[in-house]
Amino acid sequence: MSEARRALRQALVLGALAVLVAAAVQFPLVMRFARGEFRDTFFPASEYPGIRMITLAEGEDLWRTGLAVVLDARAEGLFTQGHIPGARNIPAAQTGLGLPAGLLGAARNMILVVYCEGDDCQSSLALARRLHDEGFRDIRVFVGGWEAWTEAGLPEEKAERAEKDDGQA
Amino acid sequence: MVRHKTVLLVFRVVLGGLFVYAGAVKVVDPLDFAQNIRNYRLVGQSLAFIAALILPWLEIVAGVFLIAGIWKRGAALIISGLLVFFIVLTLVTMIRGLDVDCGCFGALSRKSGWSVILEDLAMLYLGLCLLFAKKGR
Repeated sequence: MSEARRALRQALVLGALAVLVAAAVQFPLVMRFARGEFRDTFFPASEYPGIRMITLAEGEDLWRTGLAVVLDARAEGLFTQGHIPGARNIPAAQTGLGLPAGLLGAARNMILVVYCEGDDCQSSLALARRLHDEGFRDIRVFVGGWEAWTEAGLPEEKAERAEKDDGQA
Repeated sequence: MVRHKTVLLVFRVVLGGLFVYAGAVKVVDPLDFAQNIRNYRLVGQSLAFIAALILPWLEIVAGVFLIAGIWKRGAALIISGLLVFFIVLTLVTMIRGLDVDCGCFGALSRKSGWSVILEDLAMLYLGLCLLFAKKGR
């Protein structure tokens, strides 16, 4: 057998070995996945009971009624180009900075709606986790995000409303 | 390419050790690593989950075999292949302008960028030296 083929065969066997070990060691996790967990997020829902996913209709409803504070998790540049009217920009997931002091001083039972670019973006989830860690208990992740909002032709706001003057905690 | 036997042994231990370490830090928290993969925005939730379970063990198995000197070439092939993949992934991520944590070495992880590519290239050099070393070295 040529050296190249031998190396390839060895690599395939090692790969198969890795798959077997992974399946054995992570079996409990695999079972949880098979039962339907981790399909929306990779953090256990039991540890973050205050976070749930919402649709465009629910997000729009909360925004129209003014029941929730809307938080935009995207980078500041994207936020200034356009955002949900009244939303506050908290690009904490990208910048690694702390949450604004103004927000941290707010009541922990207030409804927070967080969003980012669109379906595949992850910063709204990261922000939701940080807010949950801070004690907020009603955080709703608007999964469709900015993409779904604009596609639906809903109102946009372009004025800057960053959290700079709020200070960082 | 380096051909000296002792140097190749050092390469094996260093590269194998780095991969065992990189794999071990990910095995500890597979869900966190799955989120890291998801942040690259290339694969969906299920594929990110499967990759997060298998990839760390692939790194560990290849690293251990490389250090032990068993099936060195096969292990070097896996490691070199992974490094080529990581380099391409980092470049694509930079071109797309995504701000992603590389998810590479646990606490030592940092933003995907040129430093990550340089590191991967250095490791790839070691991997290719081992892959193309003469038989018995």
